[in-house]
Amino acid sequence: MKEPVIRRVLLVGDTTLDPLARMLERSPGMPSVKASAAPYGQIYQILLSSAHPAWDEKPDFLVVWTAPHLTLPSVDKLLRFNFTSADGEYESALAEVDQFADAVLQAAPRVGLVCVPTWILPAYERWIQTLGWRQGLGPAHLVAKANLRLAERFASQQNIVLLDSQFWQASLGRPAYDPRMYAVAKILYSSAYLEKAATEIKSILRGSLGQTPKVIVCDLDNTLWGGVVGDDGPENLKLGAPDPVGECYQAFQSALKGLRSRGILLAIASKNDEKLALSVIDDHPAMILRKDDFVGWRINWNDKAANIAQLAEEIKLGLDSFVFLDDSPQERDRVRQALPEVYVPDMPPSPSEYGPFLTSLNCFETPTLEKEDFERTHMYHADRGRNEIRNVSGGLDEWLRSLEIQVRAAPLRRETLSRAAQLLNKTNQFNLSLRRLDEKSFWDWSQGPSHSAYTFHVSDRFGDFGLVGLASLSVSGTEAQIVDFVMSCRVMGKQIEEALLGYTVARAQSAGAARVIAEPVDGPRNGPAKQFFGNKLSGDGLAPLDPAKVAVPSQISLQEEA
Amino acid sequence: MNELIPILTELRPGKDFSAAENFFDEGILDSLDLTTLVSALESRYGVFVDVDEMVPENFRSLAAIERFLAGKGVKI
Repeated sequence: MKEPVIRRVLLVGDTTLDPLARMLERSPGMPSVKASAAPYGQIYQILLSSAHPAWDEKPDFLVVWTAPHLTLPSVDKLLRFNFTSADGEYESALAEVDQFADAVLQAAPRVGLVCVPTWILPAYERWIQTLGWRQGLGPAHLVAKANLRLAERFASQQNIVLLDSQFWQASLGRPAYDPRMYAVAKILYSSAYLEKAATEIKSILRGSLGQTPKVIVCDLDNTLWGGVVGDDGPENLKLGAPDPVGECYQAFQSALKGLRSRGILLAIASKNDEKLALSVIDDHPAMILRKDDFVGWRINWNDKAANIAQLAEEIKLGLDSFVFLDDSPQERDRVRQALPEVYVPDMPPSPSEYGPFLTSLNCFETPTLEKEDFERTHMYHADRGRNEIRNVSGGLDEWLRSLEIQVRAAPLRRETLSRAAQLLNKTNQFNLSLRRLDEKSFWDWSQGPSHSAYTFHVSDRFGDFGLVGLASLSVSGTEAQIVDFVMSCRVMGKQIEEALLGYTVARAQSAGAARVIAEPVDGPRNGPAKQFFGNKLSGDGLAPLDPAKVAVPSQISLQEEA
Repeated sequence: MNELIPILTELRPGKDFSAAENFFDEGILDSLDLTTLVSALESRYGVFVDVDEMVPENFRSLAAIERFLAGKGVKI
């Protein structure tokens, strides 16, 4: 097993953020964090100078957390009516916003990711509510405009993320400010709020590294609908209006459908009669989720942990990609004990909380949304079609030929970078080196003089798999090293990896390489990649690939884009 | 075990609070921990610590914290 990677976080702000640094370090879950808070009030000194000692630790992430009334002097003047002309202060404030944005933009290339919590006025600044949103005068209006300005300025900068601190405060439900702590230690925010911020920032970091769950497995009775279908009968289930309990379950389904629509896969594990349960899913008028929304199910009387393990095999994803939702504490305990990799959150006691509970989960964070995400469930269904013809057709070659697989290879481009980085960071099984890099680092690396990177788009007659392969090379004289070789597990078992390797080796050879090296790292779950490359070696010292064992299979059509 | 120890260990894992005579002089806690400790004690015991009470003196040892809480009507 590899040592867990430690990410360094630098906190820069206009108030004391040291407690946040400690909370980030204590906060459980991946990634492990080493955080340091720079002395407060040195925002510009630190952002504008890479020689400032705050950068000595070479942070991977930067958090710039400021308060509008402290960092934008004109906002404070508006709040206290300390001006000759409100219009003038308003204009100055916007110039201050640009100055702040410039400084953040200047610092951004030094780190993988910058998080900037949006500006928000302390909740005790009631000001004059009648005028707070008055254009050209009101601090509330100005702060909203300042946040929009930041969003515009950062729009084209992929590695700067504005974090919605308004959401943090609204979802906290407790005081976010503590004037005592400000008086004692220049800590503007309450401990509860800083804990909230630490949890949220940690989930953003986790999301930026791509290590987030991909599948929700849910129970049926009293989870997707109210009641037990086997006892109560389909017509007596609580689902949909006008029954208030039925509305709650429908809201929960609607939240699940939202996650499904952006790429989280749904599956079912339920102790039930399969035929009866599926008839509810197909026919109940108030069901939001239908059979097509699920990529798999195990509806039987077997152990749920065993059922989930089977689903993981069927969907070809590791158990650490799974979240399990069940109203029964006993079932949750059973799955937690048998499958510790699966994330099993406690469900709230009342179904009225199910929807809000799901929409407030922070485990599904993602830095980007790609075409592949929106089409994921559909792609899994196409896979079902492929497997069905496999069962009726003859040999493997014949089946592969009938799929009419097409692979499009292309050099890595700006437009494909975010999907490529997503693939690099999320893929665990067919991954040669398990190298994890954020978008910017991967792009910078790929532009190195002896480096190159290629993406692979795969489709067949059942549909489009999207961009599912990535390879990169480092060529030195007559020797090339395959640095990354990553393929989505969804296309495993179709000899597509053979085509990808054939193309990659051909590129290495045309760059002048006589020997091509590929050394799989010994990771916990990249067995498929280890085995594949193990069979391709010629066997001597540095183990270069044996060219005789590398070829694009004849059943696969490979095209090259310039 | 004194019920304050888990609260303190949450703040500074791995430190030995049971024998210390002065957390702050002995470098086990610093002034920032003091603010976090106050928040933790407030939410655990439902007390309010005013700004003039937020001094190391009141929180320097297990006995000092117990005395301080007793003054607020909380018996540990």
